[in-house]
Amino acid sequence: MSQAPPTTPTGTIYDRGYRHYEGPREGRWRRVRAIVVASVRRALGLKRNWKTKIIPFGLLVLAFGPVVAFIGIRVLVGEAVGEFATYPQYLRIVAGLLLLFAATAAPELLCPDRRQNVLALIFTRPVTRVDYLLAKLAALLLVVGLIAVVPLVVLFLGNTFTADSAATYLREHVGDLGRILVAGTVLTVFYSVVALAAASLTDRRAMATAGLLGVFLASSALANILFFTTRFDGRRWFALLSLGGAPGRFVDWLFGNGFDQGTLAQQAGLTGPVYLTEMAVVVAVAGALLTWRILRLRP
Amino acid sequence: MVTASHRRRQRRSPELVSVAQVEGLSKRYGSVQALDRVDVVVEPGCTGLVGSNGAGKSTLIKLLLGLLAPDQGRASVLGHDVAADPLGVRSQVGYLPEGACLPGDVTAADFVAFMAQLGGLPPRQARERTAEVCYQVGLDEERYRAIGGFSTGMQQRVKLAVALVHDPRLLLLDEPTDGMDPQGREDMLDLIDRVRGELEIDVLVSTHLLGDVERVCDRVVMVHAGRVLTQGSIAEVAGTTERGFGIQLGDNGPEVRDALVAAGLQVRPAGDELLVQGASDLVRDVAAERGWALRRLVPQAPSLEETFLRLQAAQGAPPPPAEAAPPTPEAAAWGARP
Repeated sequence: MSQAPPTTPTGTIYDRGYRHYEGPREGRWRRVRAIVVASVRRALGLKRNWKTKIIPFGLLVLAFGPVVAFIGIRVLVGEAVGEFATYPQYLRIVAGLLLLFAATAAPELLCPDRRQNVLALIFTRPVTRVDYLLAKLAALLLVVGLIAVVPLVVLFLGNTFTADSAATYLREHVGDLGRILVAGTVLTVFYSVVALAAASLTDRRAMATAGLLGVFLASSALANILFFTTRFDGRRWFALLSLGGAPGRFVDWLFGNGFDQGTLAQQAGLTGPVYLTEMAVVVAVAGALLTWRILRLRP
Repeated sequence: MVTASHRRRQRRSPELVSVAQVEGLSKRYGSVQALDRVDVVVEPGCTGLVGSNGAGKSTLIKLLLGLLAPDQGRASVLGHDVAADPLGVRSQVGYLPEGACLPGDVTAADFVAFMAQLGGLPPRQARERTAEVCYQVGLDEERYRAIGGFSTGMQQRVKLAVALVHDPRLLLLDEPTDGMDPQGREDMLDLIDRVRGELEIDVLVSTHLLGDVERVCDRVVMVHAGRVLTQGSIAEVAGTTERGFGIQLGDNGPEVRDALVAAGLQVRPAGDELLVQGASDLVRDVAAERGWALRRLVPQAPSLEETFLRLQAAQGAPPPPAEAAPPTPEAAAWGARP
């Protein structure tokens, strides 16, 4: 076999030496956005090992799965399959998932930065504590809002397009769409702010999660015990002690449903706006606590 | 948005005589006066901030970064007043903190890129610069692994990458060789040398290891118990400008010293050795002529240790036990505490 003629080797030399950065530098809101993006990834377990994805993706499946399955069946079988769940019923289910999600995601956003002392690096960049707080809040609102609003909107759209006449359904139920968005927003803000406030109190994630869920459970139990064992006029206000109950009762009122017979809510007789006010007060107090804790962070 | 050419002009403006300056700075923690009316001028180049643990070095660095507010006094860094414009300071300063400060469950590349974005780099440029800087600090393929699995030496490199990635004009390094093995320490000191020399970035190294400072710094600020003992170039502070030899000749008695002086050498006692300046040939000649055994002849760089111990004692505080014994030359070369 004849030898191939020798070719002159060609190549390029790259100088990988250090170069000063001469490119654009972004402003404050882009830096805040960087923290938001990193926090959203953290809350969803992205870019980390598979174990961190179990809870967030599990909750996403629980929130979206039934809706998607129902729509799929309805597309195949038609309206004969009946209604999956009313909007307020599904919102109540989603509210439970929101609490679980916020209780696990909020500690993930705040606690590791403190525990691993990453704040020592973050606050030596041109990032203020206010920027940090706003970024973490925005990240949690985005992710919690994803579960609070999108499954319900998907259900609404599914009902619309599988109805006999989409236009008629839309016209008759457009109020429901508005109520879905309002309820979703209220629940998102409520659970996000309260969960972040709880997470700001400790640097251990498990403690923050357990503490938050414990407070919600205990407050419900306490409200029920106090209401049903006492017999004086003002006892209906004990219903407000139940932190976990307020969102669901507000949703029921928003959609014009009465409270179920025999429950604390029905017997206390307090109306939706009262529960909304209660949630607003809780959000304000939690927000103040969260702000105070973040502003006094010392890396 | 600051343009690239503006930053180039700003990089070494001749009017900037100091990169950092504090005047009358005091800070108290409860009953401990961490800093007491400290006046320091940090000039361009590499400056060592030296003192034993608890001397106030970390407090001073945190005050320069605006992480703490002083009880009294002013601080300015690169022309920015720290109290009035802390964000301006932090956008031009890179900081390598002492101790743990890295997340365990993200990759080095992701974390350094995130910190680059916090320094103002757009996402794509942040990724590119992360790759470059990680390579420069010796983290090439390892940057795709989670930081939790890194050794101490690699973690220090990640911290250095974080400090450099947004192209700061001043680096503040707090115990950069902390917890590293001798080879790792050499590598880190080489990196600091390069940062100062090739990269034209001013450096302030806070450390209790005088050997490290002698190796890489041009100037030194010595602090003890919240006060400044002295500051100046290494040569000024060490009290000598020339290298010399540490020798052990015979029994090192007075006649040895006289003979060496007569031969034209400058002699100074130091522990169980004599420090000699002049040609080593003369030492050999004296030894040969008198028949004395020359047991040791070791090159000595100007030593900060003596100055530090002397000033510390003068301030009235007893020197800490770990630094009381004079170091052997080998220990001084490693920079290790005896």
